[in-house]
Amino acid sequence: MALKWPYRTLVSAVTTALTMLALLSNTAVAQTAVSANTIVLVAHPSVGAQAINRDTTRAMFAMRQRTWPNGQAAQIFVLPNRDPVHTRFAKEQLGVYPHQLQLAWDRMVFSGMGQAPNRVRNQEEMREQVAGTPGALGYLEREYLDESVRVISME
Amino acid sequence: MKAFVLFQWSENRTPTRWLTAGLLALLPITAYADNPRDTLQVHGFLSQALVITDHNNFFGTSSENAGSLEYTELGLNASFRPHRKVLVAAQVLSRRAGGETSDAEPTLDYGVIDYQMTSNPSRTLGVQVGRFKNPFGLYNQTRDVAFTRPSILLPQSIYFDRTRALGLAADGVNVYWEEHTSAGTLRFRSGLGQPQTGAELTRQLFNGRSSDVTTSEPSAIAQLLFEDSTGQWVAALSTATVNLETSLGGNDADFEFQPWIASLQYNAEHWNLTAEYALRQQALNGDNLPRTFDITGESWYVQYQRRFTPSWSGMVRFDRLINDTDDRTGQRYEQSGLGPAYSQFADDLTLGVQWMPTSRLMLAGEYHIVDGTGWLPTQDNPDARETRQHWNMLLFQLSLRF
Repeated sequence: MALKWPYRTLVSAVTTALTMLALLSNTAVAQTAVSANTIVLVAHPSVGAQAINRDTTRAMFAMRQRTWPNGQAAQIFVLPNRDPVHTRFAKEQLGVYPHQLQLAWDRMVFSGMGQAPNRVRNQEEMREQVAGTPGALGYLEREYLDESVRVISME
Repeated sequence: MKAFVLFQWSENRTPTRWLTAGLLALLPITAYADNPRDTLQVHGFLSQALVITDHNNFFGTSSENAGSLEYTELGLNASFRPHRKVLVAAQVLSRRAGGETSDAEPTLDYGVIDYQMTSNPSRTLGVQVGRFKNPFGLYNQTRDVAFTRPSILLPQSIYFDRTRALGLAADGVNVYWEEHTSAGTLRFRSGLGQPQTGAELTRQLFNGRSSDVTTSEPSAIAQLLFEDSTGQWVAALSTATVNLETSLGGNDADFEFQPWIASLQYNAEHWNLTAEYALRQQALNGDNLPRTFDITGESWYVQYQRRFTPSWSGMVRFDRLINDTDDRTGQRYEQSGLGPAYSQFADDLTLGVQWMPTSRLMLAGEYHIVDGTGWLPTQDNPDARETRQHWNMLLFQLSLRF
């Protein structure tokens, strides 16, 4: 037992080093990903809000909340259901699945309880529509951003 | 028949006219709204089914030849926001489920002016005036839209056609109140209004044996629903009270209907599990009636739906209806000479598949193994003695939406 003691310490030291290396390299990979295709919330420049929380964002994209927190009417823009960016936005940012969102919209639209979001074909159209519609809220990958839209942070 | 159709039509015309007037009155406001442009939306759906049964008829003469094509649903709606707090929405529905071709006459499904007085991150409070859809169970509000159903037919023990007209929508006032917390949303909806009576209800409820059905007091409906923040868990409790007056064989009769439904759903990424349990109290009272009753019915189902790919999904469900909890096997009903015992219950095992090649097109197929005729429409099977206890049903449906 006594003989094994330094040996065990060595093993655990190596393991720790390896784990840290793995973590570091993971972070490095994640950081490269952040710059290119991280999805951010975008709004029409006239929108007063700087940030909205996740629950509000979810309620607005689910079409349950029709206005911005300051009372301005909201216009929601989304990419097609099966667009990978839409899927990522729904799952990673809102924490819901695209089919749940679609069902929520259908239930609104066909019961008279609400409206469907505005559909855009791609991110160029998303940027154009959000930039041109007062009260608009949408999402874009960072590489599609320009000064025509306002970035809103999600708390 | 003709008179009934006319009556039904004029019944539906009044709110339409009223709504049109309301729409016109609101139009000038649009010019001053925050961003009225692009708030007008038009959506629609169309479904056509083929129903094939080995015995008994469901939605047309489904047991003969190649089956029945008499299950068609067609809807068209429009909505707009003339003001940031106001939504105006209306839908016209044409539906045939067996019966006469004239049943497909378009009716106003809903027509509301929705005023949302409060809408902030912690609370939503609003009121709908007009013909509103009853929040009842998980599926009632959009029960005619195939894309919102897990299967071609909703679990019939709860969503059967006989009380469809009663539960569907009402003319009156509906309030909704949502509390948003970090745990999720608590939603309360309650409506007070006149249920849709008329020929369709008379036929569905009393198989055309009664003369017209009227209401002296409005019906009430309420639903309390909790949904956690990501929509993984949904739990709801719904109830309604309906009082109707009619005449059977020249004698006045009162019909009372009070259902309760408890609903629970768990949503995972690739599957969901849904269960609903309902108790339905029904009473028919009056002097010198051929038959009076005061019974409690029980309905429940458990349903598992799995998404194989974004476009393919399958589902399996067991659904049970008991018409009278004091006579579960229907023996007493049969001994009283009212009809076969098996007309008092129904067990339905369903296997279904849905394919959505695009977001606008859905093809579905399903197979039902049924024991009992508890929810079998009487209009398709006028003579209960000619029905069979054990029967099977195969359905296909094509649906479109925009």
